[in-house]
Amino acid sequence: MMAVAIPLLVLLATLGLPLFAVLAAGGLLAAHQAGLDPAVLIIELNRISSSPNLIAIPLFTFAGVVLAAGGSPQRLITFFNAFLGWLPGGLGSVALTVCAFFTAFSGASGVTILALGGMLYPMLRQVGYPERFCLGLLTSSGSLGILFAPSLAVLVYGIVAGVSIDQLFLAGIVPGFILLAMLIGYSFVAGLKAHLPHHPFELRAIWPAFRKSIWDLFLPFGILIGIFGGFVTVSEVSACTAAYVLFIECVVHRTISLHRQLTELIREASILVGSLLIILGVAMGLTNIMIDAQIPMQLLAWVETHVDSHLQFLLLLNLFLLVVGAMMDIFSAMIVMVPLILPLAQRYGVDPVHLGIIMLANLELGYSTPPVGLNLFIACQRFKKPVLSLFRATLPFLAIMLVWLVIVTYLPQTSLWWR
Amino acid sequence: MLERLQRLVMRLETLLVCVSLLLLLALTLGQILARNFLETGIPHADTIARLLLLYVTFFGAALATAHDRHIKVDVIAHWLSPVWRNRLFRPVQFLGMVVSCLLAVAAWRFWQDEWQFAAQSDRWHVLVNLILPTGFGLLTLHFLFALLLGEKREHRQT
Repeated sequence: MMAVAIPLLVLLATLGLPLFAVLAAGGLLAAHQAGLDPAVLIIELNRISSSPNLIAIPLFTFAGVVLAAGGSPQRLITFFNAFLGWLPGGLGSVALTVCAFFTAFSGASGVTILALGGMLYPMLRQVGYPERFCLGLLTSSGSLGILFAPSLAVLVYGIVAGVSIDQLFLAGIVPGFILLAMLIGYSFVAGLKAHLPHHPFELRAIWPAFRKSIWDLFLPFGILIGIFGGFVTVSEVSACTAAYVLFIECVVHRTISLHRQLTELIREASILVGSLLIILGVAMGLTNIMIDAQIPMQLLAWVETHVDSHLQFLLLLNLFLLVVGAMMDIFSAMIVMVPLILPLAQRYGVDPVHLGIIMLANLELGYSTPPVGLNLFIACQRFKKPVLSLFRATLPFLAIMLVWLVIVTYLPQTSLWWR
Repeated sequence: MLERLQRLVMRLETLLVCVSLLLLLALTLGQILARNFLETGIPHADTIARLLLLYVTFFGAALATAHDRHIKVDVIAHWLSPVWRNRLFRPVQFLGMVVSCLLAVAAWRFWQDEWQFAAQSDRWHVLVNLILPTGFGLLTLHFLFALLLGEKREHRQT
């Protein structure tokens, strides 16, 4: 029965059936075939409430939504433009830095392209960047900061894999900055080649921009100090972040009116959270049934007969995840794939923290890869350009990211330097 | 009539999700303050926070169904013409409704078992857990609304 059901479910998923319904249908069928009560799926779903770190997801999402609505992107652009805009290719570097900063908070849900793309695209074009460069940069930057705290993608991996989220945040810092530096380098070269004009360095312009954005700039430092200083846990820091963001947007900058906008902001955040956590819940039930049926063990036995070395495993893992990343969005890919890949990776001596960074790096590339790269479709809507021309525009950026992926995968020290 | 009922349900869900998220925020902040300044904790705070998380999840998922904003892997649907996507809308909603309904039945049976075997002191916890069958019931209801009302303009534009 499952031999027919699995391709049928895959087909239904590709035709638009929500992923949670596809996974739940798979779980219900598997339970029926194994002679189990479907309530086993609900038992596992109920367990999502027992993970203390999961509380961080709605609160960080809410903080990201409030920041996006409150004008944080504009303040960050003004500051980073004053700080970096005087360099050759400076505005490109500004765009990359702001996108990375903002994606860490908005959770790579496409908000970055929607919130920042509309502002940065005309700015980049006005300075004289070629259209293709601007589109490529803004499309691929939509997922640039997913390795930085407090990225939702890192949180989801930590929860699904049962890995310390503090360690994952620490492991993401160097790989995240390497990618940012590589892309800034490319933007610098592109700026030099095109002989683009750039404004002179003015200390006087930095100070007012810094004063306006200081509250936003403090956020990532506050989160890292809070967690690694041992003052608060991940879920507590998420509550502090949400309260802090509400305070700066409602009291300091007064860009958000609580009684007029709060309901809408919470609704927006809850839609993002609900659509993500419902998948996590049903996938946990399905995973449990798969473990009962010893599917990960069978997969492990199959891989062991075909893959001999650690290096070969990493290579296959990269190829497999690149394909998965091009077909699924990052959250659903992690929820479905981590329980299958984690035992294999441990068998081949890959550290679970390093595996998390490898997975996130691969899936980050998938964001800008057809057929379902989320960034491509959001950029297509935002800039009114065909998906294929956007894909062509992102190719140089994808090539750089591919080099970065090799570095991150085969040099585990980049992620595990702190051990 | 049906649209008015749908709007009413969505308004109620929005209200409940707002209350749940704000309570979750207040409770987590309260717990930090109580622990650090009063050297104590709010009784059952962790349990309540985790239950509130379930409320945010289910009401959020119900609203995601109402706005057709669930996470999808719709590779083929993306490349189809709007006419074909429109034709597929109702069958997809029907399947979503069937799956959600089966989950609601399973959740109800699970809840009944929990209630039957819960100690008297834990009954409040089980009662609050009614969100499991209710949540899947709401998902079923929204898929039914979409099935009967068809694709809205708002969905087509996104």
